[in-house]
Amino acid sequence: MTLSEPGTAGRPSRQRPRAVRGLVGRILQVREIGLVLILLLLCAIVTARAPRFLEGPNLQQVALSATLVCIVALGEALVIIARQIDLSVGAIVALSAFLAAAWLEHHHDGSLFVVFLIGCGVGTLLGAGNALLVAAARIPAIVATLGTLAIYRGLAIVLAEGRQISATVLPVSYQEVAQARVAGGPLLVWIAMLLTVCFGWIARSTRFGRNLYALGSSPESARFAGISDVRNIAGVFILSGFLCGLVGVLWGARFGTVDAVIARDLHFQVISAVVVGGVSIFGGSGSVYGAALGAVIFAVLQNGMLLLGINQFWLEAALGVAILGAVTFYVFLARRAERESRRQAMLARGASLAADR
Amino acid sequence: MTRPLRYLARWEALLLLFLIGAFVYGSSVSRYFFTASNLSIATASFMPIAIVALAMTLIITTGEIDISVGSIIGLCAAVMGVCLEHDLPIAAAMPLGILVGGLAGLGNGLIVAYVGLPSLVVTIGTLALYRGIAQIILKERGVSNFPEWYQNIGFGTVGGTAIPWSTVVFAALLLGFAVFLHRTRWGRVLYAIGNNREVARFSGIDVGRALLGVFTASGVMCGIAAIVLTAYLASARSDTASGLELQVITAVVLGGVDIFGGSGTLGGVVIALFVLAFVQNSLGLAGVTPEEQQIATGAVLVGTLLLFGAGRLLRARAAALGRLWRPRPSALATRTPYPRISEED
Repeated sequence: MTLSEPGTAGRPSRQRPRAVRGLVGRILQVREIGLVLILLLLCAIVTARAPRFLEGPNLQQVALSATLVCIVALGEALVIIARQIDLSVGAIVALSAFLAAAWLEHHHDGSLFVVFLIGCGVGTLLGAGNALLVAAARIPAIVATLGTLAIYRGLAIVLAEGRQISATVLPVSYQEVAQARVAGGPLLVWIAMLLTVCFGWIARSTRFGRNLYALGSSPESARFAGISDVRNIAGVFILSGFLCGLVGVLWGARFGTVDAVIARDLHFQVISAVVVGGVSIFGGSGSVYGAALGAVIFAVLQNGMLLLGINQFWLEAALGVAILGAVTFYVFLARRAERESRRQAMLARGASLAADR
Repeated sequence: MTRPLRYLARWEALLLLFLIGAFVYGSSVSRYFFTASNLSIATASFMPIAIVALAMTLIITTGEIDISVGSIIGLCAAVMGVCLEHDLPIAAAMPLGILVGGLAGLGNGLIVAYVGLPSLVVTIGTLALYRGIAQIILKERGVSNFPEWYQNIGFGTVGGTAIPWSTVVFAALLLGFAVFLHRTRWGRVLYAIGNNREVARFSGIDVGRALLGVFTASGVMCGIAAIVLTAYLASARSDTASGLELQVITAVVLGGVDIFGGSGTLGGVVIALFVLAFVQNSLGLAGVTPEEQQIATGAVLVGTLLLFGAGRLLRARAAALGRLWRPRPSALATRTPYPRISEED
């Protein structure tokens, strides 16, 4: 057997048999494009049955309800990319929303900056609580956040003492945050878009973001590569908490009324948005843009059900089906890709052996 | 350590101390605590959780988790409620409820075992799905025309004693589960899977079938728990038992079952169940609201996990220290991952 020249051995593997797919095939390979197609299809179906869907005020409602879920989903996407999970998001939103609104109730002319500071601060603190349990004490995220979910939600209910803070006792300036319009669109939507781009950049282009992907795809290898799992996992939970705190403040501004049981099923909506958006539940793959698109898809779905007169009771079942369906679908895709790449590798090895002879 | 000492240092022994502590606390809170009727109520109210915890112990022993249990109970309750609305005899609705629970658990098990998805995301999905189905079939109605004898399953007592009927059901199931887990081959198989799934597979254990079995068992237990719970509440609603998974998982973890799988005993879980039941009862007598009790439950869960986590860390440190004290040549060699080749060679 002769030694093959460097360069010829690997060559056949580069000429993939199915490489000639053209531009359309290339574009369709981007997962987000598929999501956009699903979104457009969904919009078309809803519009066909209820033309009211496309009217301005309705679209704005859809966009507004997508924003809050979207912002939480950005954090959850990073958490799931790092092969963790955060079930306590809804409880963090509720507790920070309530504390921020309670401060505003007593300081009527208080500055909005302080309100955001309180909300985000509370969220960050609660996120740090999760981080302590998961990253420092190494408790599996699912049980740790199940426990903190109960603690945070219970705290919110105890602090609220069963009352709600309604729009009448909150200053108008607070609610104007949700109604403000910038450059023709609601401010909230712009905030969500800005955050999406920002988190897309964090995930793609910062060391922290890449560390999360590394930890998610193989914690062992990441550790051997010198990536601190404690610091990065803690960071991602704190970041998720911060976003939940921000959403808590925005939640109060948008709905006007805050009580302790808001955002009860938020973690379902957020997790389904993230997994439908193509973030692998095994960690290490997916993008925050996908998660944001997932949030928009769910907002359209929810609004469509309302317009078509489908009972809201169906929504929870639909969320469950979406989670299971999306996860199964992506796992099959991933396995097919793995088989394909293994086949390619074997073909390449066979070809290089043949070339050697 | 001598044998009796080691026996005393077991987690179960500590739990027994907790149980005594719960009794002392309860008696100090209210003079009604240590009465037969109150203890009976405290036990009966916890039996649905206890029944589900039996199967949850098996699931967590294999290193998996099932957080859809509350929703399965809700689904079974909804199905039985609809049967009752259609004038079906309750005796026919009960097996139907258990069957629905078994099917729901089978669904979980099939996806976990044969699609190969992690149980945590599967059961998050079915947590929403099963609750959603319960809401679809029962809407916001409540069904409460249960016959007298049925309600007796929930809080009726055996003959003239203070033992609730549900406790008899639980004891029978406990016996079955304890023999299965601690005295049969199949029980050892579950520990093997929880300790190292790959090794278990290579030893010829059918991991998929074992997982399918424990998840189905969990569903069946949820069906039985649904009967006990609807009998206790004397009503079936679609939101029955929502959030029950927290208490079940807390009891199992407090019982000393390793959350990573592979170790734990049903005895510990049973003591933990009674600790939680009596603590919750005495908190109720002390006027603590259910929400504050929820905080306490969450804190117990997190605190226990922290304790076991710290124990694991300490053991690892102690093991490392032990290696340092008696440095054997082989041990030293493994501690330097990249043996340097000196320049002089």
